Amino acid sequence: MTAPLEVKDLCFSYDSRPALEGINFTVRPGERVGLAGANGSGKSTLVWCILGLLRCGGSVRLFGGRPGGGALASVGVVFQNPEDQLFLPSILDDVALPLINRGQPRTAAHTRARTALAAVGLAGCESRPAAALSLGQRKRAAIAAALINAPALLLLDEPTAELDGRSVRQLKELLLGLDAAMLIASHDLSFLRDIASRAVVLGEGRILRDGPAGPVLGDSALLLEAGLI
Amino acid sequence: MTKTIRFRREAAMAAPVVVFAIALAVMQRIAGAWTWLPAQTVALYAAVRLLVLALPRQWFSSLPERRSRMWTPALFFFFVRHFLSILGQEARRVLIARSLALTRPYGPGSCGSILWSVASIFRRSLTRAERFYAAQWLRGLSE
Repeated sequence: MTAPLEVKDLCFSYDSRPALEGINFTVRPGERVGLAGANGSGKSTLVWCILGLLRCGGSVRLFGGRPGGGALASVGVVFQNPEDQLFLPSILDDVALPLINRGQPRTAAHTRARTALAAVGLAGCESRPAAALSLGQRKRAAIAAALINAPALLLLDEPTAELDGRSVRQLKELLLGLDAAMLIASHDLSFLRDIASRAVVLGEGRILRDGPAGPVLGDSALLLEAGLI
Repeated sequence: MTKTIRFRREAAMAAPVVVFAIALAVMQRIAGAWTWLPAQTVALYAAVRLLVLALPRQWFSSLPERRSRMWTPALFFFFVRHFLSILGQEARRVLIARSLALTRPYGPGSCGSILWSVASIFRRSLTRAERFYAAQWLRGLSE
């Protein structure tokens, strides 16, 4: 079975400053990989490189192909800043847009979008624009939009940032119930311990450790080196 | 200088600011996020212009030649330079998000989404510009 995500020798520099070097890892079908790293360690940059939004060295394969239109159809993305993904007059329209774009009738798309919004605890907020929601609510709306197409690979950049305890718990339950492969970039170690089966720890643009989440995220010396504690 | 000539000159000087304020108000109307920024822009211009007229001419003798062709565009760009840079950054982010949401670039909903994403660029840029303005005000650098 083709791996949803395969990264080989990836490197990227901002001007002359190296941001990522020698990044190698694979996300297998159904695997939940936590990408742990301190602020500025290169997590978001790596997500952008995977999506093909930054030109990087090395190779990135999404479902065996290069990042682009076709491969991205099976990828759900939640950016660090949820406002980036919500631009329509209501969050219901934002969540339903991918379905409508794929040719689903508007009514059916809106019904599914309502269900997706209810699953992230936003029932009753459907007709509101993103600007009228709190940051945490926007984050949850962006997560609903990413999940609406039932993607085979989910890329989540700091999914728990701005979320309160209850929302984090709901998000955990939601993600654990999905079959999709996931790459979860976060510095929230408790969230990663609960959700990830494997952890990749980034430090200063390099992979410091890649292994089972329990032992890797329980290694205090490693976490100290990575700036995570 | 006759009154008519003087009025025309003042109107020509104010035109770029008024056009900018009207465009801003229209964009805000489209984006559904009304602020007082357009009115503040015109009011600030009028206040500064009145102040300049009230002060002695000699005080401005060291300034660059005001009659050069580039004077008004340069001044206009100087006033909106921060807004333009924010606009560029926001446009990039929103258009990337839109492209990721649409699997068929010319499929249903793509046309409407581009209109709304463009409108949202202005709304987001205004919000960020307002934040920048508030931060400057708090630091005593505005008004």
